[in-house]
Amino acid sequence: VSPAPGLAWQRVAVWWRRLVVMTRKELLQLFRDIPIMLLLVYSFTAAVYVTGNGIQSQLHNAGLLVRDADHSKSSRELVYRFQPPYFRLDGEIADPREGLRLLDQGKAMALLEIPPRFHEQLATGEPTAVQLLVDTTSAPQGLSAASYAARIVGRFGQEHAQAALGGTAGSQDLPLVVSDHRVWYNPEQDDAWFESISHLLRQITLFAILLPAAAMVREKERGTVEQLLVSPLTPFQIMLPKLLAMTLVILFATAVSLFGVARPAFGVPINGSVTLFFALTALFVFTTAGMGLAAATLARNFAQVGMMTLLVVAPMLLLSGLVAPMEAMPAWARHLMILSPLRYYIEIAHGILFKGVGLSVLWDSVLAMALLGAGMLAFGLWRFRRQFQ
Amino acid sequence: MNLRRVAAVASKEWREVIRDRMFTLLAFLLPVLWIVVFGYGIVLDVENVPVAVVDRDRSALSRDYLYRFAESRYFDFQGYVASEDEADALLEHGRARVVIIVPEKFQERLLGGQSVGVQTLIDGVFPLRADIVKGYVIAINGAFSEELVLEYYARRGGVSVEQAEARVRPVKLEVRYLYNEEVRSTWSIVPALVMFALMVSSPLLTALGIVREKETGSIYNVYSSTVTRAEFLAGKLLPYVAISSVNAGILWMTATLWFGVPFKGSLPFFFTASFVFVLSSTGIGLFVSLLVRTQVAALVVTLIVSLVPTLLFSGLIVPVSSLSRGPQIQGHLFPGMYYTNILRGTFLKGVGLEVLWRDLLALAVYAAVMATIGYYLFTKRPRS
Repeated sequence: VSPAPGLAWQRVAVWWRRLVVMTRKELLQLFRDIPIMLLLVYSFTAAVYVTGNGIQSQLHNAGLLVRDADHSKSSRELVYRFQPPYFRLDGEIADPREGLRLLDQGKAMALLEIPPRFHEQLATGEPTAVQLLVDTTSAPQGLSAASYAARIVGRFGQEHAQAALGGTAGSQDLPLVVSDHRVWYNPEQDDAWFESISHLLRQITLFAILLPAAAMVREKERGTVEQLLVSPLTPFQIMLPKLLAMTLVILFATAVSLFGVARPAFGVPINGSVTLFFALTALFVFTTAGMGLAAATLARNFAQVGMMTLLVVAPMLLLSGLVAPMEAMPAWARHLMILSPLRYYIEIAHGILFKGVGLSVLWDSVLAMALLGAGMLAFGLWRFRRQFQ
Repeated sequence: MNLRRVAAVASKEWREVIRDRMFTLLAFLLPVLWIVVFGYGIVLDVENVPVAVVDRDRSALSRDYLYRFAESRYFDFQGYVASEDEADALLEHGRARVVIIVPEKFQERLLGGQSVGVQTLIDGVFPLRADIVKGYVIAINGAFSEELVLEYYARRGGVSVEQAEARVRPVKLEVRYLYNEEVRSTWSIVPALVMFALMVSSPLLTALGIVREKETGSIYNVYSSTVTRAEFLAGKLLPYVAISSVNAGILWMTATLWFGVPFKGSLPFFFTASFVFVLSSTGIGLFVSLLVRTQVAALVVTLIVSLVPTLLFSGLIVPVSSLSRGPQIQGHLFPGMYYTNILRGTFLKGVGLEVLWRDLLALAVYAAVMATIGYYLFTKRPRS
């Protein structure tokens, strides 16, 4: 009877025990760091709620000033059509310079000017025009305000024309192309869904990079890494528990955030498989953490890790497709972001949560994320080994 | 306060910064890198939206209609698909964000003077973009319908197209865009990025610099020296304020020379305001550094305290006025919002102190409050 199987079994047992013990050590170390724990709790609960609840990227409450030089039934009727939630009437002004001053101060976003004889011109069929001054210091909102105003004025004119041409001219009798939209995946265009999930993805990424990098450099700075190195642990056995512990914590926080905040508060849908979502989140956190570790091995002290993390994290957060989708990015950003695991994770998260698709659609993103992550993890490990030889 | 001691602390701190070569490099490189990367990268213009088409009519008129989407710079024509199922697959993969379905008898009905409903499927994952795309589709449909209606009227009523136009569209809307006349998102985003770059880098540098002293224990030298609290804090912060002020100048040059954003305001006012802003953001770094003991915590706390609220609540992407109450309050709690107002005001609107004095005052108060809190929290007799 050869002793080999028993020995191998023993080895596995020791390996496993070391893994458990070290993971426990990492978790304990993290839980005892009160400021970081508080921050973790805040970031995954209150911050997600506040963001989802508060961000209205679509035109909302745009302050509208009116200078009505006509004061007629028609002008009042037109002004009345600028309604919440898009516009908020901020009152009437008499002097156009007053209006410009308020726009300068940012107190209002747009100024609608109705010319004298507006009602008269409408009644006699003479062409007329109203003017809209829009503050475009924030470009998308400005454009959006102009587009809504055009729709309101267009509808107003159309109804007037139809009334003037007699009630017979219903739209059925005119060669019109009627717009019939269906917005998919988020039919009500609820900003809260998008913003709360985006924020959650941002927090996952931030913590996935920072926590392991922090843990690693802390050991280096305090010199406890030397103790680990003289222990029977291999470099891999030192790194793996760190990654495991942080992944566990972040997964738990994600679950709390998704089921404790995003779903009850905003009704964010989970149209796809929950298991798949968490499995791929684990993969994302694990591999992104590898990136943080690699960064930690390149730096000597914490200040440097901080700066390097910023070099990588901030572009990743902004350019990976959380603010605008990838196809809107310039070509160089698209090419650069091929290297960002977050880019694929966003596709995956949006795909599973909103679109309800599975691996059959997402396989290419999953594959890219896995390959990238494996590469980074391998690089981190290699750096880590080399450092102590 | 003894100025010589302040100078001594400052020069010691400066040397520490300079001798850490990577830290120095990053301190000056990071803000510029950010403004360049984000200035090109955050694209808020909704253009080149990939669109796919199901044309069930395949007539001359439907091609003419669809051509308007293909030639528009807002849409990126991805080609025809045979069925709605194929279109669904494109939306699921994210290869198309819009699908237009032209029904049968499109030409027949329109030429016969009847209305036609054209169905548009829009990917709603990004709500703001979905909304803007909806606006584009409505605008294209509207323009197309109008031409048809005008011809129809002119034909039926025996009048010229111009006369028909006056009857069909009695009111026109003339839009004038103020401040950012070409409505370029680069012009609105780059000035705000000056704020973002400074707001994240300056507290971070400061917090790390101060906590480093705590962590390495060299702060005990300060505790036992004759340097007073005020002298120590002033000397310690001086190099970081200097770095960030220089960065403000570099960022201004990047915005105007590199991105070509117009600067319509007064330069001295801009630099004064930037200096006050740097004082207040450095103050945040000081505040954080006094609350935490390790560099790890300092980094994470400053990042989360400065990065996320600045990104979301300071008017960088969404104007503060369209936020709801909670985030609006958060926005007012950080100096970023006031400085964004000052930046957009001086760059795009060309206004100065007469309009922006409130924001400048807020920044000054902020800096003073931060300095006071820092002064009282910092103690030369640490507990335990």
